[in-house]
Amino acid sequence: MPDTQTIERQETRLAKKTGSRLQLESSKARTRWKKIADRAAGVVITTGGVAIILSVIAILFIIVAESLPLWKDPVATPLPTVDLQQVTGRALAFGVDEYQEIAYAATSKGTVELVSLTDLSLLQSYPIKGLQNQNITAAFRDDLNSVIVVGTSGGAAIPLRVSFTSKFVDGKRSLTPNISEGKPLQIDPQGRSITQLAYAEEEGKRNIAALVGPRTLLFYAQREKSSLLGEGELEEFRADLSSTLTADLTTLTLDRYLTVLLAGTATGEVQHWRVEEPENPTFVDTFAPATYKKAGISALGWVLGDRSVIVGDTAGGVSVWFPVREAPGSQIAPYQQIHVLSSHTAPVTAIARSPRDKGFLTADAAGTILLHHSTSEQTLLELPASKAALPLLVFAPKANGIQSVDAQGQLFRWELFNPHPEISLKALFGKVWYEGYDQPEYTWQSSSGSDEFEPKFSLTPLAYGTFKGTFYALLLAVPLSLCAALYTSQFLHPSLRNTLKPTVEVMAALPSVVLGFFAGLWLAPVVEKIVPAVFLMLLILPLATLGASFAWRLLPLSLRSRLKPGTELFFLAPVLVGAVYVCVSLSGWMEATFFANNFPQWLYDTTGERYDPRNSLVVGFAMGFAVVPIIYTISEDAFSNVPQHLISGSLALGATRWQTALRVVLPTASPGLFSAVMIGFGRAVGETMIVLMATGNTPVMDFSMFNGFRALSANIAVEIPEAPHGSTLYRVLFLAALLLFILTFMVNTAAEIVRQRLRERYSKI
Amino acid sequence: MFKGFWKSGDPFIWLTGGALAFSLIMILSLIAIVAMNALGFFWPREITLVRLHDGGEALGHVTAHEPIPTATGEDSLRYRTQFQVGNRDLYGADFRWIEDEKIAERSQPAEAIYFERWEWGPLFGSIKAIKDGETVIAEGFQAGWEKFRELHPQTQERLDRIADIEKKAIGAINAQIERLRLEMKGVARQSADSIQAAARTAELEKEVQTWQVQYEEKSKELQTLRQENNRYRIVVQAAGGREKDMPLAGIVRAFLPNQMHWGQRMALYLTRLWEFIWEDPRESNTEGGVFPAIFGTVMMVLIMSMIVVPFGVIAALYLREYAKQGPLVRAVRIAINNLAGVPSIVFGVFGLGFFVYLIGGNIDQMFYPEALPTPTYGTGGILWASLTLALLTVPVVIVATEESLSSIPREWREGSLALGATKWETIRKIVLPGALPGILTGAILSMARGAGEVAPLMITGVVKLAPTLPVDLHAPFFHLERKFMHLGFHIYDVGFQSPNVEAAKPMVFTTTLLLIFIIIALNLTAIAVRNRLRSRLRFGTF
Repeated sequence: MPDTQTIERQETRLAKKTGSRLQLESSKARTRWKKIADRAAGVVITTGGVAIILSVIAILFIIVAESLPLWKDPVATPLPTVDLQQVTGRALAFGVDEYQEIAYAATSKGTVELVSLTDLSLLQSYPIKGLQNQNITAAFRDDLNSVIVVGTSGGAAIPLRVSFTSKFVDGKRSLTPNISEGKPLQIDPQGRSITQLAYAEEEGKRNIAALVGPRTLLFYAQREKSSLLGEGELEEFRADLSSTLTADLTTLTLDRYLTVLLAGTATGEVQHWRVEEPENPTFVDTFAPATYKKAGISALGWVLGDRSVIVGDTAGGVSVWFPVREAPGSQIAPYQQIHVLSSHTAPVTAIARSPRDKGFLTADAAGTILLHHSTSEQTLLELPASKAALPLLVFAPKANGIQSVDAQGQLFRWELFNPHPEISLKALFGKVWYEGYDQPEYTWQSSSGSDEFEPKFSLTPLAYGTFKGTFYALLLAVPLSLCAALYTSQFLHPSLRNTLKPTVEVMAALPSVVLGFFAGLWLAPVVEKIVPAVFLMLLILPLATLGASFAWRLLPLSLRSRLKPGTELFFLAPVLVGAVYVCVSLSGWMEATFFANNFPQWLYDTTGERYDPRNSLVVGFAMGFAVVPIIYTISEDAFSNVPQHLISGSLALGATRWQTALRVVLPTASPGLFSAVMIGFGRAVGETMIVLMATGNTPVMDFSMFNGFRALSANIAVEIPEAPHGSTLYRVLFLAALLLFILTFMVNTAAEIVRQRLRERYSKI
Repeated sequence: MFKGFWKSGDPFIWLTGGALAFSLIMILSLIAIVAMNALGFFWPREITLVRLHDGGEALGHVTAHEPIPTATGEDSLRYRTQFQVGNRDLYGADFRWIEDEKIAERSQPAEAIYFERWEWGPLFGSIKAIKDGETVIAEGFQAGWEKFRELHPQTQERLDRIADIEKKAIGAINAQIERLRLEMKGVARQSADSIQAAARTAELEKEVQTWQVQYEEKSKELQTLRQENNRYRIVVQAAGGREKDMPLAGIVRAFLPNQMHWGQRMALYLTRLWEFIWEDPRESNTEGGVFPAIFGTVMMVLIMSMIVVPFGVIAALYLREYAKQGPLVRAVRIAINNLAGVPSIVFGVFGLGFFVYLIGGNIDQMFYPEALPTPTYGTGGILWASLTLALLTVPVVIVATEESLSSIPREWREGSLALGATKWETIRKIVLPGALPGILTGAILSMARGAGEVAPLMITGVVKLAPTLPVDLHAPFFHLERKFMHLGFHIYDVGFQSPNVEAAKPMVFTTTLLLIFIIIALNLTAIAVRNRLRSRLRFGTF
């Protein structure tokens, strides 16, 4: 192409030579104008084109950017350290409000101190009235109910509820703390001093466990008496559980369902009592983290939901345990060690669970805090805080802050940003042992009614579903479309080809919602009635075709040779329709004879498999519909583009048409066929509406063709409207989309490269 | 004989031919099944009355007849018949199976009337009485039918007026009040001077008041119309001795299918087909028409093609005419080619993350802060859906345009340049006109693809029932932030999420047929345009 500028120069020269001055002027102006237009067009098209191409490529980046925060480590920003002891005295229990503005601490002075965390001023000092000259010897904070319970030297426990009311005045929030003190509860009738205690309450019922000596464990429960008058009369139960003790106790915990009491011993065991019936607590069993030899249990705590217990020991080990049934259906469910997390280097001193997810914090005697996530078995953060031990540890109520007080009364604080603690490669793709499950499993379950529900984000069953659907679709589509393409290109008269090929291609234009609807509402109920016929067709249809071809041979040659190649089709079509009809009408008889008259029931009785009307067979058929035209078109092109001289050569050497097709055309076109199948694969992988409508969308991992599945694409369509922007679910779905994108893009690129190679090869032959 | 049979290879050829024949049968039977199920739906069929041996009765359409499935496996000779008995509010179910042996007598009573209702689906029965308030003004079929024919058009006229007032007058008032509310919110949020703000608010408040008064007036008018309509009641005698007393206005239309002759049937059929295309849906989309869905689909496709065609052509021009050909451009070309194979749901996810949340969210913060936290553009809408589909289909246009650009003979360009035309002139006058068939084909194909896509729309702005169309008489007339209805989503929603799938099936089949028709028509147009322009071009030049 000649350079434009040279042309323009020539033009100007021409004008100069021939034209008058006036003409020259106007021509000059016109040329300049032309030049400007040309430049402008160039600039517009170039920038526009580049911008469009970039924006198209930006798709990938946006999807990556939306899913990337899943992998980001949590960030803890330290806030200035505060000398709490100076303000409040020695704190025995400690907590903060939901905005982390006010801290409250029960102190050894016998008071509850409220400290503003913004300016460190003492807001209020509340003397505990129920103490009456006793000392506080132990304290416990119930984070769920924000209750501090103090144990006294006289064997009593006093619950103190700390609540905050927030008011908005002129758009500013102001918090008013309020402390309500409950009646002292005499845990030990003998009045011994309490050294350790644990507290749990639910709907007015309370359980308290207390140690008054290393080998003296007392259990106290308070229930509302159910009287007909409905008066809230309280009933108290006391029990001494010391008789079952075999070692010194170090730590206690009670669950919020008021059913379990766990106590850790100095010899490294956890003892387990059932306290469902408060009048009669029973010892169940002992379990021990066997890996930590000779280490005593130093801290116990629950993961959110109070089903899994966190065990910390003096060797620094941290593990999570929950009851697992011994066998399916068994009533006995001993505690089992499920997750082991990173260890501390010093004894674990405190455990604080996240109020939002299955994460928790542990602190040790060397002043280090670790942030763990139970289910995904990750230790997300290590926070070196102090040189001294950290006996008090608090996870802020919105799970966005950490507070810890060390033995010297220093308060360490962090702001925590931890939006997706549950995500790890293993959680997304591996088997995960979720709370309440009998074994590790691949599970997708993104939501449920309960607040404490833990979402389960395993992409494996979804990817499995995608591949299952693709497999069944290709099982039908590949042979069908390749054979049809071979026939169209090699054995069909060109005039017929020009009408039949577009007909098949119209199929590609059918919206997938139409195919999905057809499969789900028409095909599924029909197939359910005639399952045996579907399998019979696999046998009968080829046989009928062979029969037809044999019958065709019986026709006189003179007649046959006069017809165009491809006329057979018009003879074959009614035969096939007839064969399908025969299969369908035989179905009832087959079902009665071989399948006890009810195929789904027979299937269940013999193999234990349920027949799902919207199953992979139906999906395979419907997706086959979608994939056939794609593979057909591309492979037909590949067959047709095989150089004619190869075919002529083969025929001239005496090969039959079939031999030529099989030995010459097929091998030459094979790369094209590969790329056709790849592109068909890509389409099937990403198909959404068909799998959404024609399967039951249950995320099961089962390869049976009589079962449904849930594919990645359908899963996105189902779940993303309900996923809040920026939530873990939202990002996981973006990740699923990214996987689909990468998979299809790679497959298509491979196919495209193969096709280009093939084109080059053809041009060389 | 057999030896030769196998050796000739013919059986294998036949097998491959069988595959082709089977594929063709598959597609043709799909279209045939959909068409059969869809086209029969509006035909006014006879109503059959069956009397049972036990004295019971059923009145309705016969919809199926099959042998009774037995538990033992013997192929029983007992048959059963399915009736669409309608009268959902009376019987609880629309369909009923009756064993043939229980039927004593079948007849097609001339007095059987098919009542199409605004609510509760069809009603089969005969007129027992027509009442004005509590007084009976006509009794029995003959008198009742005459009275019905006299009164019914009036009630429907009033209903039309009610709808008119609700949609236009009250809609306008509501739009005004909503606008004032937002303005008030904006004043409260922005102004620093509280006295001035209070004054302005009071002013706006007053304006709201005047609109409120107008609203009251209109609703009074509505009330009188409704009262007038509720005066007339009809008592329908249904099968099995049941009666239904309902307002006359609740009936869309009534006809006597057993007395109609062929021409009347055809006329009614066409009327109902017409209504299907031009009316709003009723009964959670299972009855009535699909006009909003057609409108939404067409509008979305138009917006999409307005974006996709120019941009696609520019990108193709750049790639083919301006960019320096090399490995980079080749890679970009492959990438664009492959983008056409990326699942549509991925584009939907992108549209949600990018258009809706990122761009839409920012637009809301900049231009519609007073409406927050209710999102205006920060939620799915027709603009975002169209943009998403534009991205989805832009590879189609690029590829088609590029292909046709590359098919322009080199001599044309060189000739043009040799005559002194600039590059742009060559492109504008020579290359683009020559490539026009390809561009048009690409545009039409992208429209066909866009019209049929559902998955990305589901997450970027389609809803099952949009209260208003994206175009109306209130400024700024085009409301691109609105959610819309779509034929494809309509199929999914009615067929899979509707509470009464069995009754909704014919409706879904009809919608499906309509969608198939639109898409095949678009595809055939693409093919026709390509052939036409191509041949004309050839004629003109050579």
